[in-house]
Amino acid sequence: MDIEAIMGQVLSGLSVGMVLFLIASGLSVIFGTLKILNLAHGTIYMIGGFLCYWITSTFAHIPAIFWLALILGPIATALLGGLIEIFLLRRIYAEEMLYQYILTFGLILILGELCKLIWGVGYHTVSVPWPVDGKMSIFGMIYPVYNIFLICCGVAVFIGLMAVMRFTGLGRIIRAVTFNREMANALGINVPMVYTGVFMLGCWLAGLAGTLMPPMSVVALGTDMAVIIDCFIIVVIGGMGSLSGAFIGAIILGLVNAFGISLLPKLTIAFGFLLMIIILIIRHWGLLGKPE
Amino acid sequence: MMEHEIMREIIQEFFKKTLTLRLFWLSTAVILLFILPLFISTAYISLISEMLIMALAGCALNLMMGYTGMVSFGPAGLYAVGAYTTALLLKKTGIPFAATMVAGPIMAGLVGAVVGWFCVRRTAVYFALLTLAFAQIIWTIFFEWYDFTGGDDGTVGFRKPELLLSINSSYYFILLIVIICLILLWIIVNSPFGKTLQAIRENPVRTEFIGVNVKRYQLYAFIISSLFLGAAGSLFAVFSGSVFPDYAHWIKSTDMIVICLLGGMYNFLGPVIGSAVYIFLSKLISGYTMYWMLFLGIIVVFLVLFMRNGIAGFISHKIAPLIQENKETEK
Amino acid sequence: MIEVEGLTKSFGGLTAIDNVYLKFKKRELSSIIGPNGAGKTTLFNLITGHLSPDQGKIIFNGRDITNLPPHEISRVGIGRSFQRQNIFPRLSTFENIQIALFSAKHINGKLFSQAKNMLRDETDEILESVGLTDKKLMQAGYLAYGDQKRLEIGIALAIEPQLLLLDEPTAGMSPRETIEITKLIKKLVKKRGLTLIFIEHDMDIVFGISEKVKVMHQGRIIFEGTPKQVKANAEVQKIYLGKDKK
Repeated sequence: MDIEAIMGQVLSGLSVGMVLFLIASGLSVIFGTLKILNLAHGTIYMIGGFLCYWITSTFAHIPAIFWLALILGPIATALLGGLIEIFLLRRIYAEEMLYQYILTFGLILILGELCKLIWGVGYHTVSVPWPVDGKMSIFGMIYPVYNIFLICCGVAVFIGLMAVMRFTGLGRIIRAVTFNREMANALGINVPMVYTGVFMLGCWLAGLAGTLMPPMSVVALGTDMAVIIDCFIIVVIGGMGSLSGAFIGAIILGLVNAFGISLLPKLTIAFGFLLMIIILIIRHWGLLGKPE
Repeated sequence: MMEHEIMREIIQEFFKKTLTLRLFWLSTAVILLFILPLFISTAYISLISEMLIMALAGCALNLMMGYTGMVSFGPAGLYAVGAYTTALLLKKTGIPFAATMVAGPIMAGLVGAVVGWFCVRRTAVYFALLTLAFAQIIWTIFFEWYDFTGGDDGTVGFRKPELLLSINSSYYFILLIVIICLILLWIIVNSPFGKTLQAIRENPVRTEFIGVNVKRYQLYAFIISSLFLGAAGSLFAVFSGSVFPDYAHWIKSTDMIVICLLGGMYNFLGPVIGSAVYIFLSKLISGYTMYWMLFLGIIVVFLVLFMRNGIAGFISHKIAPLIQENKETEK
Repeated sequence: MIEVEGLTKSFGGLTAIDNVYLKFKKRELSSIIGPNGAGKTTLFNLITGHLSPDQGKIIFNGRDITNLPPHEISRVGIGRSFQRQNIFPRLSTFENIQIALFSAKHINGKLFSQAKNMLRDETDEILESVGLTDKKLMQAGYLAYGDQKRLEIGIALAIEPQLLLLDEPTAGMSPRETIEITKLIKKLVKKRGLTLIFIEHDMDIVFGISEKVKVMHQGRIIFEGTPKQVKANAEVQKIYLGKDKK
């Protein structure tokens, strides 16, 4: 392969990776603090996509409607997340992982079917919005501007989240609760509220990813199932609870998939799982996680 | 504490006295199952066949989950290995039918030994994720290896022995095999080995320190579970006449987990009850609406929040207060 | 009977066990005391194989058991009770002991025999010796705290140890339960000719049962002797019993 083709693969892998990071970042944050593996995370992402489609098609006459959807969509999913956390998740924090897994699986079914009820079984598209439509030329290859935009969004979200975690009071509180729930409680922090807030943040991130994706792909039922496993892989590789780990894990997965498709297309799907297995056996706390 | 003591002892007494009663009910149920085709249409018989196979799969999974405390997210992988082995042998070779039915579970057991060896290196959520990853790799192999497995089109049109050409005789075959497998599982679960597995569930550290190599026993549980999962898969292959990669998918695995939870994980017949209720409800509700999954989701959420011990657990918790009342009114 | 030579264990920057040398004679009743964090439970964990030492050796009856895994160490003849409740809660009291016996007699691999009636007599005997016969059908998790400790000792005895390690056997018990457990331990140890090492904070028990006392502080042994000698030693008093106790 010549250098242009390789660079093309790298770019492709990076943009896919960034999108995956956007989706997985929410899961990583939720798992880091709440220690819950939220199977329904992909479904919330999918709801974000449906909301994007719905807003942009219903209010198509409003200019820059996509950007409005980008603001409203994640807020809606965050609110949904808040409801889920308060009424359902709170009851099972103390329970074993099995029950959390099955409960969030039940949520996949419920939310997925509600999407089917509201938006039907067909697939929908959203057109790439101005001003990030069009193509540009990188390393001699023609590339959609939107993909580059997505990469920038991924990086921006990563930097933004890290900044919040490290430099703000809110971030300190979240880190305190993550580190030691009882201690934080004893220090007067309203832990249940922090839990709700973190879950809403995770759902906001999922909704953000869900709203950003449609112009690049398609809005349809079943995208949640496809995405959640990739999220699990990323979170495991990067280290459960580590945001930078998720960032790196997403890039790795994106690149592995990109090169895999050009080198060994049949086995590409398995690469992610193989990576997951290798990490779980050699270093189960992930690349950037903390051994217990 | 006192009430629990009394309750516990009362339940023990009750079950001791009704042991013969329980055997009676079980035999009645089995006899009933055998004479069912005489009064029920083949559509329902087919449904019950499916339920029996799922019950076996659930009980196989429960050996790991309910008895040894190992939560697996990927039992469907081993189930599919059994199904594909039997189907492919029937389609591509002339090997006698009985041999293919044996080859399915054995292959599943072998794969289970390899997969299990890796998975038991870890515990809890990491173990579960490992089982998930392996099951998805198995799915990928079935999905991508088009030339051999037919990929997404599945493996179809394989020969079936005359024995299984009618729904009723197919039913009897399945019933027989499932009953034999369940009896085997029952014996295993009540053996010193089975008791040791339960000890591992209760307290792996303590079990380690009564001289048990816990990892090795967990691997044994994994392998035995895989054997019976493969058996269920083989049965389903010949029952439905076709096998698809989705038999290995994590969603199918979750169905199996739900069946165990629904019926009750800490009860031997729990998965049987769970399978019956699940399949019955799914066919009933699917008849009325195309949103069966919505109802399943609600049921699942309800189950986790309010009925964690499943139907069997719920019943056995209800019997105790009733007996308590009876004893008191007797005085 | 059991010797510990030059044992060292660190966690991160913290040295939990610092070059410890200890010797315990056969049939001796010893206790290890020391303030919290002195390293007592870590020492037990090293002996029973739950932790590996960074340096040093553990020799039991002439055999180097330093890096053996826990399940092999229990087979070698060392029994242990753990600090927090360590039984099989959802199984009956009877089964708790029975399963330990299955392992001891190497029949826990049997797949095709019914466990219910196996080793009944042996199980009943142990139940009797720890005083739990009348509770044998109860679910172990519902036993009173003191009874759970009895059960734990019963489980530890089932594997026929020569050496018994008890980690705070009377922690959290009422005075009455404490006296009963102490009596039980003394009786069992004498009857079976066991060597006993236990960790305790209750000084009455320590001075009541032990023939030898070893005092640990910050990962080191700072004094060894008879109970009387320990009581009299000024440094021990300062570190552990409090300066004003005279």
